[in-house]
Amino acid sequence: MLPLQSATPLPDRISGLLGLGQFGVPGELLAGLLASALVATFVLLNTAVAGPWAKRKITASFTDRISVNRIGPFGLGTIVVDSVRLLSKELIIPERVDRPAFDLAPLVLASSALLGFAVIPMGNGIQVADPEIGLAYVFAIASIASLGLVMAGYASSNKYSFLGGLRAVAQNLAYEIPLVLTGVSVVIFAGSLQMSEIVAAQEATLFEVAGVAIPQWFAIVNPFAFGLFLVANLAEVGRNPFDIPEAPTEIVAGYQTEYSSVYFVLFYLGEFIHIFLGGAIIATLFLGGPAGPVLPGIVWFTIKIWLVFLLTQWCRSAVPRVRIDQLITIGWKGMLVLSLANLVLTAAIVGVIA
Amino acid sequence: MSNPWIAIGALALVGLAIPVVMMATSALLRPSVPEQGKRATYESGEIPTGSTRIRFNIQYYMVALLFVVFDIETVLIFPWTVIYSDAVAEVGLARALVPMLVFLTTLVVGLGWAWRNGAVRWVRSPRAERQKVEQ
Repeated sequence: MLPLQSATPLPDRISGLLGLGQFGVPGELLAGLLASALVATFVLLNTAVAGPWAKRKITASFTDRISVNRIGPFGLGTIVVDSVRLLSKELIIPERVDRPAFDLAPLVLASSALLGFAVIPMGNGIQVADPEIGLAYVFAIASIASLGLVMAGYASSNKYSFLGGLRAVAQNLAYEIPLVLTGVSVVIFAGSLQMSEIVAAQEATLFEVAGVAIPQWFAIVNPFAFGLFLVANLAEVGRNPFDIPEAPTEIVAGYQTEYSSVYFVLFYLGEFIHIFLGGAIIATLFLGGPAGPVLPGIVWFTIKIWLVFLLTQWCRSAVPRVRIDQLITIGWKGMLVLSLANLVLTAAIVGVIA
Repeated sequence: MSNPWIAIGALALVGLAIPVVMMATSALLRPSVPEQGKRATYESGEIPTGSTRIRFNIQYYMVALLFVVFDIETVLIFPWTVIYSDAVAEVGLARALVPMLVFLTTLVVGLGWAWRNGAVRWVRSPRAERQKVEQ
């Protein structure tokens, strides 16, 4: 069986296999590019299945409908057909848009979401890089997306987009701090920001039930933090009940109202990559990363991020949207206080036990 | 062990290349049919009125100010959490925890002040208040 967490990141293994080590920095860059291409392909493959197909199928089962089923087995051919259809739409640039920002916004959103996957350990040694400040890095990169949203909202020169952009900022500001504070309460246990260390800290056995060893996953050690993080993550990726930046029944489509053709595809793609990035952070911090019995790590990792995706779609079908004033109240008066309490309590309990 | 930031830079390149390639593919595929009125700003089918660069609710600004304070706080909490376990073993619980508690208490007092002053309460404009139909 392959080791769950190999000591060498993927680029080093590739450069070892191809003998790129002798070329110095260009060799490292080439190995890094190959590893990145592999990880990006994995992420985009998940997104391609999730966006045009799984999302519709899940919503359809919740609302007792059939959904896409015409092309290919289970309608899976829809993925190809839809991507070709969307890419070949006419690109309409509205009047009075702020041109460079309008074009850059979809790029910022899609690229930043993909960049966050650099430090995520996906099992079987698939990890592009493992810097010491991995967790700080992933939080920093994940919040670049709000910059893309506000660029889109402001540059569109549309009142709906503008409101959507403002709402996106207010929401991300309100939920960023609970997210990070809950995230660092895990660091108190792990004692490191390095992603591989955080995963390794969860491998120890917490207790045994009928001969089955329950691992020390932080979701089991601190379920309160896990719940807080799940909610804050829903708000961070802008899904129900916190999808007020898009709010189709209130402000058309929010910040993406004026986007068509490939720009719309990039927004859609960026959002789904962001959901999976959120799932990957949850899996790494709270669900033992790629750990799991029998199956290889990458399969467990995929299962975990899809579980988080399923949760977002479940909420989409089942939970009503909150209003902007309720959102601010929940964020600043509820989540922030709870996450501070969680941090202090975790620190106190760890301090007393240690 | 190679430098991890080279690999992250490589992923940044790949992450930029994928959307750019998609844009290029779309530019090859898509038609261009310029028509009168097609490029008008979308306002649910009405003729667009006025500019978008309007005054907006000051609440968004208040929340952003509050965020700056708490974001810097999280920056200061990060290193503390990393060394916390070691610090407890080294200098004991009181010296590792109490200074951070004092710092956090100061911030919570600040949050309480903002709370009482209504910085995190959503204020309705007088016009919205007049137009309210049901509560």
